[in-house]
Amino acid sequence: MSWKNIRLVFLREVRDQLRDRRTLFMITILPVLLYPMLGLGIVEMMLTFSEQPRVVVILNADDLPTSPALLDQSGIGEEWFENGAEETSKLRVLAERTPQAGNEEKSARRPRRGEKTDEELLAVAHQLAEKIETLHGLRPVADESMEATATPQPTSAESPESNTSSTISSTDKTAEAASTEAKLTAAQNDISQQFGTSGFQVLVIIPKGYRAAMEAMQREIQTSSSATTGVDAKAVATRVPPVLVVRNSADDKSMVAFGRVQKALQSWEDAVRKFSFEQAGLPKELQHPARLAWIEVALEEQVAASVWSKMFPALLVIMALTGAFYPAIDLGAGEKERGTMETLLISPAKRVELVLGKFATIMLFSTATALLNLLSMGLTGQQMSAVMSDGMANRVSLDFPGLAPLAWLVILLLPLSALFSALCLALATFARSTKEGQYYLTPLLMVVMGLTMFCLSPAVEMTPLYSVIPVVNVALLLKGLLLNSASSGNLVVYAIPVLISSIGYSMLALWWAIELYNSEDVLFREAEKFDIRMWFRQLLRTKDAVPALPEAGFCFILILMLQFVAMTYMKPDLTNGDPGLTMMRLIVIQQLTMIACPAVFMGMLLTTSLRATFRLRMPSITAMALGVGLAIVAHPLTVELSQFLVEHQVFPELPESARQVMGLMKTGDKPTWLLLLVFAVTPAICEELAFRGFILSGLARGGRLAIAVGISSMMFGIIHMIPQQAFNAALLGLVLGLLAIYSRSLFPAMAFHFCNNAIATFHAGEGGRIVADGVFFSRDPDGFLRYDAPLLILCAIAGTLMIMHMIKVVIRDQDAKRRGLVPDFRDLTKGEEVIA
Amino acid sequence: MIRVQGLFKEFDDPRSGVFRALDDVTFEVRPGEIYGLLGPNGAGKTTCLRILSTVLRPTRGLVEVDGINVVRNPEGVRSRIGFMSCNTGIYDRMTAWEMVEYYGRLYGIPEEKLQARITEIFNVLQMNDIRDRLGGKMSTGMKQKVSIARTIVHDPPVIIFDEPTSGLDVLVARAVLQAVSSLRDQGKCIIFSTHIMREVEKLCNRIGIIHRGKILAEGTLPELADKYQQPDVEELFFDLIQRREEEVRNSGANSEA
Repeated sequence: MSWKNIRLVFLREVRDQLRDRRTLFMITILPVLLYPMLGLGIVEMMLTFSEQPRVVVILNADDLPTSPALLDQSGIGEEWFENGAEETSKLRVLAERTPQAGNEEKSARRPRRGEKTDEELLAVAHQLAEKIETLHGLRPVADESMEATATPQPTSAESPESNTSSTISSTDKTAEAASTEAKLTAAQNDISQQFGTSGFQVLVIIPKGYRAAMEAMQREIQTSSSATTGVDAKAVATRVPPVLVVRNSADDKSMVAFGRVQKALQSWEDAVRKFSFEQAGLPKELQHPARLAWIEVALEEQVAASVWSKMFPALLVIMALTGAFYPAIDLGAGEKERGTMETLLISPAKRVELVLGKFATIMLFSTATALLNLLSMGLTGQQMSAVMSDGMANRVSLDFPGLAPLAWLVILLLPLSALFSALCLALATFARSTKEGQYYLTPLLMVVMGLTMFCLSPAVEMTPLYSVIPVVNVALLLKGLLLNSASSGNLVVYAIPVLISSIGYSMLALWWAIELYNSEDVLFREAEKFDIRMWFRQLLRTKDAVPALPEAGFCFILILMLQFVAMTYMKPDLTNGDPGLTMMRLIVIQQLTMIACPAVFMGMLLTTSLRATFRLRMPSITAMALGVGLAIVAHPLTVELSQFLVEHQVFPELPESARQVMGLMKTGDKPTWLLLLVFAVTPAICEELAFRGFILSGLARGGRLAIAVGISSMMFGIIHMIPQQAFNAALLGLVLGLLAIYSRSLFPAMAFHFCNNAIATFHAGEGGRIVADGVFFSRDPDGFLRYDAPLLILCAIAGTLMIMHMIKVVIRDQDAKRRGLVPDFRDLTKGEEVIA
Repeated sequence: MIRVQGLFKEFDDPRSGVFRALDDVTFEVRPGEIYGLLGPNGAGKTTCLRILSTVLRPTRGLVEVDGINVVRNPEGVRSRIGFMSCNTGIYDRMTAWEMVEYYGRLYGIPEEKLQARITEIFNVLQMNDIRDRLGGKMSTGMKQKVSIARTIVHDPPVIIFDEPTSGLDVLVARAVLQAVSSLRDQGKCIIFSTHIMREVEKLCNRIGIIHRGKILAEGTLPELADKYQQPDVEELFFDLIQRREEEVRNSGANSEA
């Protein structure tokens, strides 16, 4: 590898990109100009923007108490709003009052075109009020109370009629609504529809005789509090009928108006309470017995930091990706499309040098785009907040984050853009044309966006597991660091795994790109016409002994999909019968239908030799012994490893469903043969048929066995869903894959799988019989059997030896195979020379 | 200089499993001669030349360029060959000079020597007026000149031309052919693929007729005319291809029966 060539390629590509006006525009002009212009636009809009007043209808407004008065001449009084007149102007209150001389001309407001007149609005409101009151069983009650207040009698409060109306109390509205839910749904549609077209957003219904009832109540309190008997609180509260406030939560306009009305009503209610207390001569302190005081300690820059901590990570991730993508398409697929790829490939530069030169270019642009965007956005935000908050009471300043967080930002950006650059370069190299390359952007962007959105949630915090998940790790760390730069000491610890794993992922992606450059069929792929019928016929006609690579991939996706669907439909019904048995039955069904069936069917349909596909060959005795032996030594290692990882919080504890399964093994009320059948025999057969059978055979077809085993074990891990089990499965999948390749038979892998699961079953259940000697075995506080260091070391040595042996044999076989297929050029050339 | 022996190349074909693009191809090209690879489209010419230029790897067989094995030392082979085809484009956003200079540097030519060499090539090919023109703004003829300059900037002993005149107008094609013949006169070892008979008659010292991955006949023009009793290359070509097609059909019928 020569640095000179890498530099040459790098310099050429950078110059090439800089000469491309589109790239320059995307990277420099767009962020530098776009954000300030957007900011300016928003400021302009905010200045010219005025919220449309929303209509609130108050029925029977005459019945509101006069002291304190909720309404003034123009609507709801300013004093009831937090922001006074500003909020009053955003509500148009239409209060229904009995016409009085002098009030007449004021209420005659001329409606705008398409709006309803006040009379129409009131008519609709009355209809609605009637329906709602009937629905909620308020109508007859309201009538009675009206009658009661029409002829006020001091004793009416204790009358039995009033007591029936006690079902509705203002504080108990929700409970009431629940009890009448059945009736409510019947008329709900009608009311909802009428409310939607009514032309008002909130309807307040003041019950008849409201004021009289309230005044009566106040008098009552006054008299009873002065007497020594005390207040019968229940009897007093029931007398005032509730004010109904109707809204539609699904309508934003209604919700905004309702929010305002609610606040106003609440402060009005406070005033009513205050007034009543004063009337009754009760001490003022009783109004706020809890006496709460709220104190804010956030500093201005912390407010800014919390804004930036949400914006910057998301923007950084997305911009680093877009910044990488466009140059990558040009450098990869674009080069193919313009025919310069072949020109470049015949230059003496090595493929690695070409890839690294291109990679460096893309990374430069990715980093530059992200940084320029952040800079421009930060400065615009700062400027905007300064402009907008002028003269505002609660000033929000968006000062730029400090130097330390910014330094972190740059440090973390580098591995992130390295990952994106390598990934984009690989994808762009894989694509036949720039158009095809752009198709790959959408899924990539969606995955990355999804991961970023996940990180934005305030509940998501850095954990050891998240610190090794690509994109998530950088976004979360950055979020934490920007949020509280002062107390980020414990977060910095995570910087090491984040950086190491990110760099690791980018190396992996880079390696993939180099692989693609070395693969001739990717570089010289011709676009073919695709005909689905032709393809399908071809698929069935030209079968091979073992499945093709895409078929293996499809099998995996099919299994995954089936599992996903099954998650909703196959929830065990644990309420009746024997829950354990139901669950075990489900496990067996799931294994058979969702794992074994797809693989076996695809094998029968798409391959000519089930024997070759599923490796149904007699294994050697050594291979079988290796399978059993490895399972025995692997068990303590995996148990301790996963315990270690859980204890260090890399993985969360097992979820409830998995515990239930574990519990099944432990209770011991099931016969051993059944447990073995469900947990060991079935998975050993089904999962091996699918993963070491169909999938591994398809993947290994290309001859790259290490990659095939790696990918198949990753797939094996993925279908186990729960992180902890997935990790275990992926790890064991490596061994299983190696066993299958080594023995060319599925049976040793099945033996391994069976033994592994069987031991795990006994470990959970009958492990109790083993005596904890403190050297090889011990027990943790839960009585769980644990393995100690001496045993683990022995197992590790034995396992390594067996694996090494298998790898050696596989490599030897591979060499022999290769020599048989392609003659060694060295030998041929030597022969030539001898003849010459 | 070029030695190809028992060369096979197979591709994975989604339709029929394996497609054999080259089937036991053997030939040799010596310095100072132009070897013409004549065949219809899809005969395997490009595959063969791409293997020579190390862009594709042989499935089986021995391929040597200037005594270097293409599988064992592809970089070494690449620095000793010039390769030009209708697929080898030039960069749109690079000037003629920059383009040739870039490749010269990739070949590792010392800077002073490189500048002198480029000046010389630009003089010979009369390219000084397009020296600072961007690739995207060039005519096809100009692009072809830049391609030739790029091919020979490192003065390679072996030059491979894969249908260099395809898609060119008569004038440009003529200029390209002249350049090829002058390179032969400099003692280069040249392999030249085409499906145009006239070019072969005009340029090539020896030809190989290739069809469906197999070399059907090989030799100098008079030799071939003598052997197959055909008046000119065109008749010879059609006759050979027809015979081969019949063979394939018969063998297919036999195997089905």
